[in-house]
Amino acid sequence: MFLRAVLAEVEKEVKIFFFSARTLFWTLTLPLGNGLYLYFFYLPFAARSVNLEFNSATFSLDLVGFTLIGQLLYSFFTMMLLAGNTFVREREEGNLEAVLLTPANRMAVLLGGALAGAFNYVWLLLGVAISWVVFLNAGIIVADPLALVLSIVLSYLSLVALGMCFEAFFFHSRRGIMYATALQEPIMFLSGLIFPLQSMPSALLPLSYLLPLTFGLISVRLTMLGGASMWDVAVPLSVLAAMVVVFSALATWLIGYAEKSAKRKATLTQF
Amino acid sequence: MRGSSFAVEARQLSRDYVSTRRSHLVGKKITTVIKALDRVDFEIQEGELFGLLGPNGAGKTTTVKILCTLLEPTDGYALVKGYDVVNNAGEVRKIVNMVAGGERMLYFRLTGRENLKYFAELYDVPKKEVNSRINTLLELVGLSERADDEVEKYSKGMRQRLQVCRGLINDPQVLFLDEPTLGLDVNIAKDIRKFICEKIVREQGKTVLLTTHYMYEAEEMCDRVGFLSKGKLVAVGSAEELKRRMPSGFSMEVLVTRLSQEAFEDLQRLKAVKKAIITDYEGEAEGEKVDRLIINVESDQAAPEVLNFMASRECRVVSLNIRGPTLEDLFMYFTGEK
Repeated sequence: MFLRAVLAEVEKEVKIFFFSARTLFWTLTLPLGNGLYLYFFYLPFAARSVNLEFNSATFSLDLVGFTLIGQLLYSFFTMMLLAGNTFVREREEGNLEAVLLTPANRMAVLLGGALAGAFNYVWLLLGVAISWVVFLNAGIIVADPLALVLSIVLSYLSLVALGMCFEAFFFHSRRGIMYATALQEPIMFLSGLIFPLQSMPSALLPLSYLLPLTFGLISVRLTMLGGASMWDVAVPLSVLAAMVVVFSALATWLIGYAEKSAKRKATLTQF
Repeated sequence: MRGSSFAVEARQLSRDYVSTRRSHLVGKKITTVIKALDRVDFEIQEGELFGLLGPNGAGKTTTVKILCTLLEPTDGYALVKGYDVVNNAGEVRKIVNMVAGGERMLYFRLTGRENLKYFAELYDVPKKEVNSRINTLLELVGLSERADDEVEKYSKGMRQRLQVCRGLINDPQVLFLDEPTLGLDVNIAKDIRKFICEKIVREQGKTVLLTTHYMYEAEEMCDRVGFLSKGKLVAVGSAEELKRRMPSGFSMEVLVTRLSQEAFEDLQRLKAVKKAIITDYEGEAEGEKVDRLIINVESDQAAPEVLNFMASRECRVVSLNIRGPTLEDLFMYFTGEK
């Protein structure tokens, strides 16, 4: 039943997103334009490098690659925040009660919404990635493809799980989008998105290590640009895996609590 | 799960709404408590069509939302097929569904068929049955030919019929209909009423709780009704039972002009008059405002006394009609509301 509800939600969201041929056309073509824009933006920085210190080792990474990976994962994170508004959207569209009337597992509905969000926007990420590889030739050094794939998958899953926690938080709030926007800048700063973490004031580092984006960026950058092996990124991968478990469990508890609280306070349909 | 021989049972069901606002942006918080339901008791038998009647704000939707687990009561409890709506909410959701009038509850960018398929999946309808059930329901409400059109292209009546399909997609044992014909034109509303009575209740034997403020709708459809007024359930029974509880079986509907408050008060003291109420009426006769009086009288011989009284007070009677009491008369009698 859980999987059925996930798939139903994905199918519904994708159908709604790709409502017309025009939407499909622009979703597929706009990312290529975005990729071209990035090409000209980063061209002056080509062939420069940045040092990333991790696990007592220093990796010299291509600067453009470093920044673009940051941008790609950050886009993903933003998308997860938006996906975290599944129930808020349902409420605004007048469908929340119809969904909550069903016995479907709430986490299944949330997961479906998040997966559909990933599917709907994955073209954007692919478009940027293709443009990057083709036009910028940005120092890709992959020594362990499995480690790279695992880094991407675990980064994605941990962001999905965190997105679902936010969903529970936004559930009975009228200010979900406002909170999501307010969170973006601090997370951008703390995760090491645009500069290596060793440049971060040490007092702020504990906050950085609470974010899955931080570990996602480390592992993807090292495996994609620094030729790191599975062993080199074992720590961030383990942390990401643990975060998937912890955030999923937390999201399950939070969404149950939020639904009960909304029914108690009669705020289910208020926004 | 508690034992209950009823399809639906509500005991001392209460719900308060707490509203907080500030006098201005940074002002002191002002909290208001509104009692939407006040110790309501009723039960619905298996296969019964029960109507909850009342004006806007009486507590009808609150009752329905509690019974289908969308809202928690602040006090009391409710059972659906023996399952507590708070403690066994998951079990209740499997066996109930709800259709609300004037609300969306559909995805406009999906087709009618896609909407039903989505909800069938969420209700875990057996895979083999999904398509046949969707086709049967669409056929029943006359939407088969438009099933593959997006809902945004449907008329209001078609959307409401699709809502009914959504409400039946999980083959619920208990169906809650919250003002299902709200805002629909006469013919479509009539079709939906007929569908509910004939197909859902008589043929399929489902238990239905209908809320409405259209008295004729309840009179046409319901086996028993309950009158809700300001959160209190003031009377429950079949129309016949409720009529028997009125002191007289006759109602007089009088359209009159120039009726002063003093004359109205004196009218209520006449021997033949048991109770008189002025109801909302929009109309004029020869440029004068018309009031509509519903007078509960001792017998159908009371007309001359009332007419003589009106003449003595220089009121002009536009029309007078004596009849057995309607559900509207009963409602006004029991609640004292216009």
